[in-house]
Amino acid sequence: MATVTLKGIKKVYDNKVTAVHDFDLEIADKEFIVLVGPSGCGKSTTLRMVAGLEDISAGDLYIGDRRVNDVEPKDRDIAMVFQSYALYPHMTVYDNMAFALKLRKMPKDEIDRRVKEAAAILDITQYLDRKPKALSGGQRQRVAIGRAIVREPQVFLMDEPLSNLDAKLRNQMRAEIIKLRQRIDTTFIYVTHDQTEAMTLGDRIVIMKDGFIQQIGTPQEVFDEPTNMFVAGFIGTPQMNFFDGKVVKKGDGYELHTHGAVMELTKAAQEKLKAQNITEKDVTVGIRPEHVHLAEASKATLGAKVDVSEMMGSEIYLHVDADGKDVVLRIPSTELPSEWRAGIPYGTQIAFTFPPELLHLFDPETEKNILL
Amino acid sequence: MRRSSMSKALVRRETISGYLFLLPSLIFFVGFVVYPMIMCVYTSFFDATMGKDRQDIFIGLQNYKDLFKDPAFLKALKNTLVIVIVSVPVTCAFSLWVSSAIYKMRGPIRSAFRCIFYLPVVTGSVAVTVVWKWMYNNYYGIFNYIGKGLGIIEKNINWLGDERFALGCIILILLTTSVGQPIVLYVSALGNVDNSLVEAAQVDGANDLQVFWKIKWPQIMPTTLYIMVITTINSFQCFALIQLLTSGGPNHSTDTIMYYIYYQAFKLYHYGYGNAMGVILAIIIAIFSAVQFKLAKADTSY
Repeated sequence: MATVTLKGIKKVYDNKVTAVHDFDLEIADKEFIVLVGPSGCGKSTTLRMVAGLEDISAGDLYIGDRRVNDVEPKDRDIAMVFQSYALYPHMTVYDNMAFALKLRKMPKDEIDRRVKEAAAILDITQYLDRKPKALSGGQRQRVAIGRAIVREPQVFLMDEPLSNLDAKLRNQMRAEIIKLRQRIDTTFIYVTHDQTEAMTLGDRIVIMKDGFIQQIGTPQEVFDEPTNMFVAGFIGTPQMNFFDGKVVKKGDGYELHTHGAVMELTKAAQEKLKAQNITEKDVTVGIRPEHVHLAEASKATLGAKVDVSEMMGSEIYLHVDADGKDVVLRIPSTELPSEWRAGIPYGTQIAFTFPPELLHLFDPETEKNILL
Repeated sequence: MRRSSMSKALVRRETISGYLFLLPSLIFFVGFVVYPMIMCVYTSFFDATMGKDRQDIFIGLQNYKDLFKDPAFLKALKNTLVIVIVSVPVTCAFSLWVSSAIYKMRGPIRSAFRCIFYLPVVTGSVAVTVVWKWMYNNYYGIFNYIGKGLGIIEKNINWLGDERFALGCIILILLTTSVGQPIVLYVSALGNVDNSLVEAAQVDGANDLQVFWKIKWPQIMPTTLYIMVITTINSFQCFALIQLLTSGGPNHSTDTIMYYIYYQAFKLYHYGYGNAMGVILAIIIAIFSAVQFKLAKADTSY
């Protein structure tokens, strides 16, 4: 249990490639932080720097009050779960879990107690005598977690621990990690490329791209108030829709023109635009598929032609062609007229709109959210 | 029914073509390995001379009985065992040490080291031996020169001609020619150890030494086993060095079984006697290898 502080952490590899740029983050005691981003964004490198497996090129790393830049991994009091699990193949499950404790010269009965306790939590007691080779992927995963929890470390690091599991097992293990977290209550840093894992597990999420932090926030914050188009597109499935549009000052307020539709903006949004002294500006409009709904054609709606309709059971994913732009709508099947419940035929003309309080406006050049 | 009979024909055809592909090497193997082996065992029960008017006389186990009363054979056996017992652990330990020092180095440097240690393996043994013979020379050898220069020895030593030193000198040469392959094997085995295991151990609190002995060493155990077996076999069969340097002298102090077999069979034409020794040597090597497998197997089963 400890805070972890990263101050201006930077990683430059020998070949002059910078993997992580000025990473600043303060992780509170017992917080669950998720680093998320596409591959190559520097999230694993950051985690490995915290673990001490990569040198820190610049900046300061603190675990608790101790600066640990030059402290060996073994002396950092951290535990790590690897993507490949990295179980020692020549040791039994029991020995794998006891390894770190034996190195610490812990009394035998204490080791035994901790290993058995962890095994019970993870439901792997019956496999303690087996070698990792004789276990399934999910069981190996549990052993890897078990090896980390017997340590009772200050910080728990997990590097894409679920990415080698199949979809069903992944959902199950995700739930177990949430349970486990409540049980062992320590500081977690969790790396993943899966935004669902990030949203469901994290107290706060750090979204990274190309070595830069894009946004740090609670799942709710990054979902509702994405700082830029990358975050907006990365969080949420299906992806947020983006349209070209234009905000135009009209009288004391603003209205939004997009693909022939003219929409009102909320008071708050208009205040923000006014504060930036905008009279007329090209914008990118972002709206999540679940916030789009079908409507009678009017001045405030966009017209589109149905391309594909995917019946998901409780809802329909509707891919439509609006003025040459592919847009996805997520519509609860209960809101559909009965003749469309099974799917909407190809080529059907529809009209849709979205509520002004749920749309996002981005600067097309900087891609930044201009309503924040 | 039809289908299964067809597939049977197919299987037969595949079997036949399989054997046809095998045939060339099979002929060589049977003609030059299996047949001589059988002949070796067979003639070891005869007083075989393989002379022009050969009249091999069946003498049962007499050759074997004689062997263990022959002081020269017992000496050769002892020398051979000394060579094996010294050179196998030294070769393994030295090559492991060198490999673990060089396997993390950059490509070209690592290759240079591998090349240096592998050179004696690919250099003709005659050339190697000539150089060593020159270095050991009583009058102008470099060992005497350095030894005297540093004040370690008082006067020139006839390294190969002195019973006290001759076998040690042979072992030293044998080591230089036998570490090459183990080093190459160890370098690649160490390079193949999954790095995440090493990292996991570091995070678990292991220092470099513990990482090596508790993680890497078990991982390279199969390679160690292989190296031990080939080094044992090579050491048991040490022959060319003896033949070229000392011919077993002085006073049989560098006789090995391999050399003594050659001496009995091709110098004295005691083929049956020589073959009996060959059988004994094969049995000893088999026992040693089996023991090594057994010991290492306990560690490598995962």
